[in-house]
Amino acid sequence: MNRWTIGAVAAVTLALPPLLPERHLATFVLLLLAATVTVGVSLLMGYAGQVSLGQASFYAIGAYAAALPAVHGVPTLLGLALAPVAAAVAAVLLGAPLLRLRGHHLAFATLAVQLILLSLLAQADWAGGAIGLQGVPRLTIVGVELRDVGYAYTAWLVLAAALLIARNVVDSRPGRALRAAATSETAAAASGVAVGRHRLAVFTLSAAMAGLAGGVYAFYLGYLSPGSFPVLLSIEFVVMAVVGGLGTIAGPVVGATVIVLLVQLLNTLGTLPGMPDYAPSVLSYAVYAVLLIVCVLYLPRGLAPALRLRRTADPNA
Amino acid sequence: MTVELAVGNVSRAFGGVYAVRDVSLTVPAGELRAVIGPNGAGKSTLFALIGGQLAVDAGTVALDGVRVERRPAHRRGIGVVFQAARVFHGMTVRENVMVGAHAITRAGFLAAALRLPRHHRDERRIREQAMVCLDRTGLADWADRPAEELPLGRQRSLQLARALCGEPRLLLLDEPASGLRAGERELLSDLITRLRAEGLTMLLVEHDVAFVMRLADRITVLDLGRVIADGTPAEVRANPKVQTAYLGVRPDEPHLHARGVAE
Repeated sequence: MNRWTIGAVAAVTLALPPLLPERHLATFVLLLLAATVTVGVSLLMGYAGQVSLGQASFYAIGAYAAALPAVHGVPTLLGLALAPVAAAVAAVLLGAPLLRLRGHHLAFATLAVQLILLSLLAQADWAGGAIGLQGVPRLTIVGVELRDVGYAYTAWLVLAAALLIARNVVDSRPGRALRAAATSETAAAASGVAVGRHRLAVFTLSAAMAGLAGGVYAFYLGYLSPGSFPVLLSIEFVVMAVVGGLGTIAGPVVGATVIVLLVQLLNTLGTLPGMPDYAPSVLSYAVYAVLLIVCVLYLPRGLAPALRLRRTADPNA
Repeated sequence: MTVELAVGNVSRAFGGVYAVRDVSLTVPAGELRAVIGPNGAGKSTLFALIGGQLAVDAGTVALDGVRVERRPAHRRGIGVVFQAARVFHGMTVRENVMVGAHAITRAGFLAAALRLPRHHRDERRIREQAMVCLDRTGLADWADRPAEELPLGRQRSLQLARALCGEPRLLLLDEPASGLRAGERELLSDLITRLRAEGLTMLLVEHDVAFVMRLADRITVLDLGRVIADGTPAEVRANPKVQTAYLGVRPDEPHLHARGVAE
């Protein structure tokens, strides 16, 4: 993607928050946060060849790590800084045994981790239990308490940082090592790559991105419960990464935008008068399934590369 | 830079059957050693035991007297060219070769993510080193093509470039000539000859006897997991045990020797 496209997208998204009505601003913030998590998922799946079906666990860990101290009076900015660190530490501890698994096994193991985390959270009274953690203070940066537009810009910065880091890592010594190991662990190891250590590092990095996004989420919503982090959310991140295009930097942003907008649209459609009560949830589940199947069948490389190819194929465009 | 390889009484079994049994061989620094033997002789297993792709059941592998048999492959400093074209997909030829420089550089995730000076320093070194290796293997014109698009012979050269990029102390080549056309084979043997002249220790596992007879300083012959002969190409060629094992003929049927061993 060239500088002009990036500049235009940045300008439009920076101009947008003050213009959006409150309802759409919420969608915008959640979209940016989802895209941030998806950047990590895409790094993991697209470049390192690992699948995590439990990425929402790190989103949750980041959210709770930011919210719990803040509820007890710790400055909110410190809580936010703690979010990626807590998620990264959890990833190191979990990743050391889990990353010995490959493909489907790793996917199921990360899914199991999330189920375990959710049931532990539901029983943890100190974290609000199943009812949830209420009254999380709003984020205060240098004495200014953030309002909704402020969260939009915070989330924007967080996503921009994640994208920049992902781009930097992919085109570097450790990034090439990871991509190499995705084709052949044996050949990568013969080239001197400590495959296990690199995989753990990228797993940790992706968890830190999810954790930071989770931290912003906690302060933005002001309320957390285990129900905020369902398994469906983890699947959503994977679908966003695949639909947007694995192994691309822009893919997560494209994927998150498409999915969030579609889910919104179907939600509006599902709540129209005359629709059955279950319509919204059925429709939003359906969108993941249908999009994933369509994407794998017709756009196996995802939307972002498809858009790029169309542009280069048509000289007049 | 280059080292002596000493393999001492190495064994490896699969499900109770020995693929390699009590194999010892010493390759002095700067020598080009070939390991030959019929199918199932244990050549590829021996190769993997030295390279670290397989763990030994017993025995030692030492580089200049330092034992490495318990080290993982990535910490042995051994360059490897695999028989199956193991080029990294989704990466350019240049990037493939750059991966080879992993062992001689240090920049990690933090340096890369934050673009610290160490990243830039290493990146410059890796690029220069890769360019040199691309030139040496005749791949410079292909540098920015996707690696998986290269023809088989070029993919073999790419593996060689990648291995050289890590400044290996020992180079292992597993049937590098297999599947190559005559012209590609010629290029490959020229390159191996040049590397030999530079004093790089090499171990070449090869099925094509004529190919190794021309190149190797010494030849070790394996059969059924054991060393049955070891010597100069001329000695090995004259060894009746080799003729029996390798060609499956008895020495009293000399008309069949012409097929390979006797050129």
